[in-house]
Amino acid sequence: MHDTVEERSCWRPVTAGVALGLVMVLTFVVSGRGFGASGGLTRLAATLQHWIAPELTEHSAYFAPYFAQGGHPLHHYLVFMLAGILAGAVAGAALSGQLRFEVLRGPGIAPGRRLLLAALGGILVGFAARLARGCTSGQALVGGAELSVGSWAFMISIFAGGYAAAWFVRRQWL
Amino acid sequence: MAPLAKTGALSPEANLWAAVGLGFLFGFVLQRSGFTDSRKIARAFYFRDVDVPVVMWSAIVTGALGLWGLSLLGVLDVSRMYFLPTFLAPMVVGGLIFGVGMVVGGYCPGTGAAAAATGKLDALVFIVGFFVGTLLFGDVFPVWGDFYRSDYRGVWRLDQLLGIRLGAAVLLVTLTAVAGVWVLRRLQRQFWPHEARILCWEDRVLGVSALVLAGMLALFPNSAFIPEHPPDYYLVPKASLPGG
Repeated sequence: MHDTVEERSCWRPVTAGVALGLVMVLTFVVSGRGFGASGGLTRLAATLQHWIAPELTEHSAYFAPYFAQGGHPLHHYLVFMLAGILAGAVAGAALSGQLRFEVLRGPGIAPGRRLLLAALGGILVGFAARLARGCTSGQALVGGAELSVGSWAFMISIFAGGYAAAWFVRRQWL
Repeated sequence: MAPLAKTGALSPEANLWAAVGLGFLFGFVLQRSGFTDSRKIARAFYFRDVDVPVVMWSAIVTGALGLWGLSLLGVLDVSRMYFLPTFLAPMVVGGLIFGVGMVVGGYCPGTGAAAAATGKLDALVFIVGFFVGTLLFGDVFPVWGDFYRSDYRGVWRLDQLLGIRLGAAVLLVTLTAVAGVWVLRRLQRQFWPHEARILCWEDRVLGVSALVLAGMLALFPNSAFIPEHPPDYYLVPKASLPGG
């Protein structure tokens, strides 16, 4: 099968997890905080909206602090980190010959329907990441290592929600 | 010593550029873990490919051993670190919605952004959806603002929840992770016998090493990890630190 070939070209999961954990520890040592992905994306979303509707964004109860005291939403640790994440992923894909345009989908679903579900999932994840103050990286993994009760509750809830909904979208993946 | 950005060894501007380098490593490892493939992530929820939770367990254990181990050795001053606070109810509800979104969309924010950068068009659409969800949350914030700020518990750790020592909580997490990886592999072999991977000797060595290290951490009292009086080994005098 097509995807089993790609799987062989990636690192073994425990080794990959240890590497990910070491990057996390390096971030603690260098910056005194954890890594994160959704924070940078949220600031990027606020910036995009600011181009179209500056008044709305600057007076939004949630986004206003990004612009306080002449600040710019993109002048933030997590935005710089996001730039690195994108570059690192491109480097990894280029080195392993996985850099190409494609729609990744299970065998039983048409590309259009897959993209529709990707958009729907993105909306849910975007909303939920703000509500939970982080995502799988910055909240679940980092908070998990910090032994944070809220992060563990978040992580358990992610898998509870995922396993509960899996049956309904099984034809997309299996 | 560390954290470098808080002891004055690294200026705020240099710390921003360090974030690019750290992000690069993070994105590279995500891609090399196979996490830029939505099928790999989504199939975790059917036990067909258990690599995602196995990577997560391994990363959390490594992160916890590194964080608290370096604190024990006096290399990392946790009193100068930012720790994530707990808002319990919003995090539980957020997690449930997040999990549904992950199995529907096939990505989480970091893997989606990384996959979009490598040309995966489903990930690009996922990220557009992510922006819509984020802006929906932010622009209609007054509707859920009260819930978002509710159930605040401060920085609340598992050891405090369970009434055990911090080192014991790290050992408990490590034991749970080793057991979790074993159970996930069993479930995969049960439901998808043709796609199961076998444990190799590296996995066993890493698992046993983690248990030994966590067992050592469990021997120390909390004051060894979180000193009541912060040590005075900062590279610049404390008085000249911002907020110091």
